[in-house]
Amino acid sequence: MSHKQKRILAVISAFSLYFGLMPTASAMHIMEGYLPVGFCIAWGVVCLPFLAAGFMSIKKVLDENRKALILLAMSGAFIFVISSLKIPSVTGSCSHMTGTGLGAILFGPAAVSILGLIVLLFQAILLAHGGLTTIGANTFSMAIAGPLVSFGIYKLCSKCKVNKYVSVFLAACLGDLFTYCVTAVQLALSHHADTTIMGALGKFMLVFAPTQVPLAVIEGIITCMIIMALETYAKPELRSIGFMKEGR
Amino acid sequence: MITIDKLCYNSKLRYVNAGEKFAFAVITLLLCVMSRSIAVACIVLAVTGILTVYRGGIPFFRYIHFMSVPLAFLILSTLAIMFNLSHTPLDLFAIPVGTWYITSSWESFFYAVQLILTALASVSCLYFLSFNTPMPDIMNVLGKMHCPKLLVELMMLIYRFIFVLLSVSSAITQSQHSRLGNKDYKTSLKSFGAMASVLLLRSFKRANVLYDAMESRCYDGTLHVLNENYPPSRKHIWAIIIFDTLLLLFIIGKGIFL
Repeated sequence: MSHKQKRILAVISAFSLYFGLMPTASAMHIMEGYLPVGFCIAWGVVCLPFLAAGFMSIKKVLDENRKALILLAMSGAFIFVISSLKIPSVTGSCSHMTGTGLGAILFGPAAVSILGLIVLLFQAILLAHGGLTTIGANTFSMAIAGPLVSFGIYKLCSKCKVNKYVSVFLAACLGDLFTYCVTAVQLALSHHADTTIMGALGKFMLVFAPTQVPLAVIEGIITCMIIMALETYAKPELRSIGFMKEGR
Repeated sequence: MITIDKLCYNSKLRYVNAGEKFAFAVITLLLCVMSRSIAVACIVLAVTGILTVYRGGIPFFRYIHFMSVPLAFLILSTLAIMFNLSHTPLDLFAIPVGTWYITSSWESFFYAVQLILTALASVSCLYFLSFNTPMPDIMNVLGKMHCPKLLVELMMLIYRFIFVLLSVSSAITQSQHSRLGNKDYKTSLKSFGAMASVLLLRSFKRANVLYDAMESRCYDGTLHVLNENYPPSRKHIWAIIIFDTLLLLFIIGKGIFL
């Protein structure tokens, strides 16, 4: 084999190794122990005001209607189950939804922040996705930043009279992409050994893009399908959680 | 359906006081993350691994399998830390690509090794907790630590509902598969969407029924659950204190000598 052939072989095997790893790629939970202590605490503190706001809003709803506790708990369990199931993906590998985009569209970002925190704790302990020390960072990217963007886009689109399904797709898809960007920023801020922060950010974005970008599109499509089916079969239920205010 | 949940109910350490296990796992985890040293990570990995596998009776291969769960994340992000794209080659190795080099330095190589070991050791701490402590016990500990009552109650309900919804979803998925619901990519996407929406519908129905049942049993806004309590043993507490103090002293000592 000539030198050039060897190099081509090396590149090809690197690629196949890379895509061979994909089957186990799940959503971007930062794993246990990956962030330095300072960053763990800092991200936790950043989350606090959002969580407090979510807590207050849940409390207010519960004071008016006790039944909402059961409904909230069901929604939390729904988000957990949706995010723990394998979704069909293009390469035949198994990947998971984040489910928080759907949650934000259905239940609003305030409730999702608290539910997301609990779901992430369960995911860390029961599924070994994420961890206890990184729960602050994960909560910020998955339960606060992503859902806020999803909800904002959804509201903006419905203000601008965009087709409902298009807006649901955009909300879920861009929310997912935003979660991925925030996670890359979190990783880059704490680990930039011999480059600048921007360089590290670029590298993290590049490495996770092949898994996360298709996943975001699939998540958008599936969320759209779920909303479509729900509107056909579950109008009263959707009205009860305030998703469909216009009584058709 | 959730393997970790099944394993922890069969663990031999299940009836040890949950507070002890929680304290051991969290303190060791913090020490491990704070020190970020290769030696500490190896010690922690060995100790928690031995405790979980030999004292807890978790099958060894299961344990290894679960240690590899976060591997994809670990490998991908470590690749991003180790490899650099620059015009000048660094000291470890350099692969020329056009006018650029994919390159790495010894410094970032050691950084990556340190990070991988720290992360694996922390995961083993987490596993010590989750393989040996059933979730209700952990929630009980959180309640005793004055976590807001609403949050603990919500967690309790969510934990219960997760299993209800999982069994519903697996039944639906199974019947979809037996009717060729995954025959091609488009169909499987459609099946997943249908399954998820029916799941939400069913869960709302369940929630209504459950609320009626609770109301008819005098539900007044608080859930009363009988907690099983196992007394803490003095031997375990001393062992935890001694181990973590030694670990701390080791970390401080290393800090002085290096």
